[in-house]
Amino acid sequence: MYRIRFHGRGGQGMKTASRILGSAFFAEGFEVQDAPSYGAERRGAPIFATVRAAHAPILERGPMPQPGLVIVADETLLPMAAGGGVLSGMGERAVLLLHSAVDANTWKQRLQLACRVLTLPLRLEETGGRGFVGALCAGAAARLVGIVSREALEGAIRQELAAMPAQVLAANLTQAGEAYDAMKKHAGCVCEAPEAPAPGAVDANWIDLPFEAAELSAPDIHGALTSIQVRTGLWRTLRPVIDPERCSRCHWLCGSLCPDAAISPEAEGLPVIDYEHCKGCLVCVAVCPRHAIESIPEAQAREQEASP
Amino acid sequence: MSETIYRRMSDLPSTHLLGGGTAMCAGCGGLQALHQIYDVLGTKTVFVNAAGCMTLLSVYPFTPFRGSWLYTAMASAPAGAQGVRDALDILCDKGRLPRDEDLQVVTLTGDGAAYGMGLSATSGAIDRNLDFLYICYDNEGYGNTGQQSSPATPHGAHTATATGPAGHSGFKKDLFGIWVANRPAYVATVIGTEPLDLARKIEKAAKLSGPRLILALAPCPTGWDFDPQQAAEIGRLAVRTGIFPLKEYLDGRVVHTKVKRPRTPVEEYLRAQGRFQHLFEPERRQDVLDAIQARVDAYWEHWDPSH
Ligand SMILES: Cc1ncc(C[n+]2csc(CCOP(=O)(O)OP(=O)(O)O)c2C)c(N)n1
Ligand code: SF4
Ligand code: SF4
Ligand code: SF4
Ligand SMILES: [Mg+2]
Repeated sequence: MYRIRFHGRGGQGMKTASRILGSAFFAEGFEVQDAPSYGAERRGAPIFATVRAAHAPILERGPMPQPGLVIVADETLLPMAAGGGVLSGMGERAVLLLHSAVDANTWKQRLQLACRVLTLPLRLEETGGRGFVGALCAGAAARLVGIVSREALEGAIRQELAAMPAQVLAANLTQAGEAYDAMKKHAGCVCEAPEAPAPGAVDANWIDLPFEAAELSAPDIHGALTSIQVRTGLWRTLRPVIDPERCSRCHWLCGSLCPDAAISPEAEGLPVIDYEHCKGCLVCVAVCPRHAIESIPEAQAREQEASP
Repeated sequence: MSETIYRRMSDLPSTHLLGGGTAMCAGCGGLQALHQIYDVLGTKTVFVNAAGCMTLLSVYPFTPFRGSWLYTAMASAPAGAQGVRDALDILCDKGRLPRDEDLQVVTLTGDGAAYGMGLSATSGAIDRNLDFLYICYDNEGYGNTGQQSSPATPHGAHTATATGPAGHSGFKKDLFGIWVANRPAYVATVIGTEPLDLARKIEKAAKLSGPRLILALAPCPTGWDFDPQQAAEIGRLAVRTGIFPLKEYLDGRVVHTKVKRPRTPVEEYLRAQGRFQHLFEPERRQDVLDAIQARVDAYWEHWDPSH
């Protein structure tokens, strides 16, 4: 069975990538299972999607503990434990494909991985939609597994993106084709692995739950303001940074307009951004009349923080 | 009515009550309005929330509120508010809750609930003169389920259920007018990009009792298809073009609180959003653009005839 896991952020097209790859496998005569996995979070939050393909009925379900191929659309997810465990379960025979401008060897060293690491050069400006790289990633995956033809890939893209305007579809076909070609050297490097028995699986031991009155059974939160434990700062790919020299301390403006209420002034009136929760929408950058807020890539900001 | 404490922008609250860490999209115009509203209403509030994006504010065990929040079915938030109001009244009457600790009951729903599915429950609540504040964040579609058309979807917009070359064929329902026809205590439109206008209206609404509606236009990067960074500019264009009039109803009179003269052509607002792109490409739909502009012009011809 082929096992492929796509990681990205909501809006980058990983769900679509899994559907395209799934449909392409299907066209090649495989049994297929593809499923996205995300919570209530929205665009920008880490998500993943899985594809299983085999020539026999697929009995495995749920998340994918031992993928043969992992594709990461957004490198900022890598250092993140909450990113859904991007690297989890990657054995020596697995392949990691990163959509990144940094080269594969550097990543291999940084991440200290034994498995094969490949990169797909970063192309965020594509017309498939802002930061949408679903077709691109599906195209690369199709070539890496080695048994999906270009025709099956294109047919799958036409099918999955049927609702898109013609020029968007065309752009996605081009992108996917380029990724398919770029992976030519590595075609077929992803291996099939046998169906694994669920570790320690035992027969279900059903327990009957008696009906409880609402005061016992309904979820009930007694703590106030508990949402601040959720670090939505991890959604950010760009970080707003305030220049205190330029800032005129009109904090009621950026402080009111920040959708997430992540800006409040300190005693002297200088606004301070709560990076634990700022989602990086950059509304503040757009509204600041003094142009005192600039945006820098989150990865760069973290590197600067790490080195004194 | 007493004077406002919000005389200039610098009077706006600087520390914020709504917690971060919510699941709303980056750049959500609804959340922008809600956090400002919460700052003015304060913590003596209980929110009754119908199914919609904002249901995700409080996902067990997390909540951004400092007080209570109750989840109801999509059509029933005003009925839920009735139950909460009744319970508070009983507690106050029995002396188990001091009157000065009484809470403001706030219904919070999207447009799908407010304009459509929940309108019957709203009508009943107004008939019973329920003392509640209804906040509708209007993202002009069923956002939480993938932006299908709702009765608030504007003419010409693409939605998940209006994908044809001319977009949504209907016209946005006039919820402000429906409420006003019932002669409630207060009705106002607000938007997060006009925080001072918003604060004054919430301040006013909070002091009144009876049925009150705050209708907040909620620019929605996900459903309207624009970059989150554009959210404020799109909100401002909604006001500048006159497509979203800022107004209030009080004591039998409708007053416009911001009147732009001259108005920016509505095309600038439409062009900035992916959901209207089909009106410009591959070919320009002058017929649809004219129909939208004509509606805006007719509205202002009625309310501001000299301009
Ligand atoms: C009776 C009923 N029908 C359908 C749904 C599914 N549903 C959940 S949220 C939602 C959309 C609500 O739209 P709106 O009120 O505009 O809020 P938004 O999602 O845009 O914030 C729908 C249709 C439901 N919860 N209840
Ligand atoms: S809007 Fe700009 S100038 Fe004003 S306080 Fe915020 S960062 Fe400073
Ligand atoms: S980018 Fe700016 S406006 Fe957006 S959440 Fe962060 S601080 Fe708030
Ligand atoms: S879909 Fe729209 S209204 Fe809903 S959370 Fe996202 S931006 Fe806000
Ligand atoms: Mg809605």
